[in-house]
Amino acid sequence: MSASQANTSENTLYAAHKKIYPREVSGRFTRLRMLSVIVLLGIYYLTPLLRWDGRQALLFDLPARKFYIFGLTLWPQDFIYLAALLILAGLSLFFFTALVGRVWCGYACPQTVWTEAYLWMERKIEGKRTSRMKLDKAPTSAAKIRTKTLKHTVWIAFSLWTGFTFVGYFTPIDQLAAKLFSASLGPWETFWILFYSFATYGNAGFMREQVCMYMCPYARFQSAMFDSDTLIVAYHPERGDPRGSRRRGTDPKSVGLGDCIDCNVCVQVCPTGIDIRDGLQYECIACSACIDACDEIMDKMSYPRGLIRYTTENAAQGRKQHILRPRVMVYATILLVLCGILLTNLFLRVPLELDVIRDRNTLYRETREGLIENVYTLKILNMDSKPHQYTLTADGIDGMKLVTDEPEIVVPAGAVQELIVRLQADEFNMESRSVAVKFYLQANQANHLNTVEEARFVGPGKP
Amino acid sequence: MDVPVTDKIPHTQQAISVLWPSFLIAIVATGVFFSAFNPRDLIPFNLDIDISPLAAYSIGFFLFWVVAAISSYGTLYFIISNSRFLNKQNR
Repeated sequence: MSASQANTSENTLYAAHKKIYPREVSGRFTRLRMLSVIVLLGIYYLTPLLRWDGRQALLFDLPARKFYIFGLTLWPQDFIYLAALLILAGLSLFFFTALVGRVWCGYACPQTVWTEAYLWMERKIEGKRTSRMKLDKAPTSAAKIRTKTLKHTVWIAFSLWTGFTFVGYFTPIDQLAAKLFSASLGPWETFWILFYSFATYGNAGFMREQVCMYMCPYARFQSAMFDSDTLIVAYHPERGDPRGSRRRGTDPKSVGLGDCIDCNVCVQVCPTGIDIRDGLQYECIACSACIDACDEIMDKMSYPRGLIRYTTENAAQGRKQHILRPRVMVYATILLVLCGILLTNLFLRVPLELDVIRDRNTLYRETREGLIENVYTLKILNMDSKPHQYTLTADGIDGMKLVTDEPEIVVPAGAVQELIVRLQADEFNMESRSVAVKFYLQANQANHLNTVEEARFVGPGKP
Repeated sequence: MDVPVTDKIPHTQQAISVLWPSFLIAIVATGVFFSAFNPRDLIPFNLDIDISPLAAYSIGFFLFWVVAAISSYGTLYFIISNSRFLNKQNR
């Protein structure tokens, strides 16, 4: 890029960008997108209200350091599961991108979903594309201020609800609501509600397509997952060109034109403001608004639909298409294997943990009976949702005895219990100065709840 | 050789290119760090600080954000100053 090019392109960067007024559109893909928006927003706003076992069904309880996911309770030790889940999400994105292109961008990305919601509110208040443009150009008037104030009030109210819901994933939402209505929200809760509201308001109300174009990392590297068989939104230049206006019902060939009537509706509906007829562009979020818009025009002209359509590079060039290709199969295999590992681990996960800490002050002591004694502090972590009684045993040295002052080991649900135990063994049964011993913890009446932890038993050693 | 005139990047874009990647990194760092360490265990014994977990996590997040932003700013600074230097050489 030369200096002069950089200077001219600078004006189109987001510091000085042209506001986009996406034209309203209807059609099958638009209906699909709206359905996706409603379902996803519904999931976002309603999930924190779901209950499970007398608590919030999905709660990332930061103060208590526990994540509740329906029947599952995850502890900080289980962080690996969340990490694995994120990796799985990333891999699915790779897989679906290779297969169907940027459907994530067009139908499911929060940026798209909230932008659609905010655009919908904007349309309800300010009207269609042309009236929105006229309103923005109009001189300041009482009516303009009224309309704009109404729009921003609705936007801000929706943003605040969004921010409140967001914090409701981390603080029990019923308590949060109670605190809100009694005006006793904590400073940080207030801060995060406002922070998230502000981000929503800014991203969905103002930044919109600029987030996709300048801030989204996925938009930058998605092309790495693309190949000639990936689904894309494309214009059919052989059919459409040369473009030109003509009267309705005219046979394009008789006037030496292609099917494109150059009405520019595909450009007007585009939320990122590009012309799809210029070919595949990185700004295109594959929302397919231009497909619906063009199909409507084609219907009006009585031309066949699909001048702009979902296709693949291979299909567009008339070559053979391959749905199952090495790239897709590799992504799918990795995805399935990781999914299997995660599910197996989750299924086999034992919600019980035992930590053994040797007494650091004395290596060992001799009892009155002449046995060698080591002292250990045991930490029993019951990660189950029920209290349990446990049986503790140990082995590693012949005739070793386990002594504890507690008559029984009972740990409440989700609690940690400390326990001092002593191991006593005869010096003559020890093979060396330091011997590995094992502690076995077994929950009574729950066979699957058991764990083993290794420790060292130290004696004076053979002379 | 043509060198991009990076010092002509608008200020908004410069600010976002520093604050945005560091924000994402701060989220990841906060998650990893606090799943390994309980903020309650990080307060030294001789200090009697009563701080809510949410406050601790939030402060941790902002510290990570600041640190990552300093690093991002370093990258931006070097890119801009190097491009100026190379442009001077090319002239």
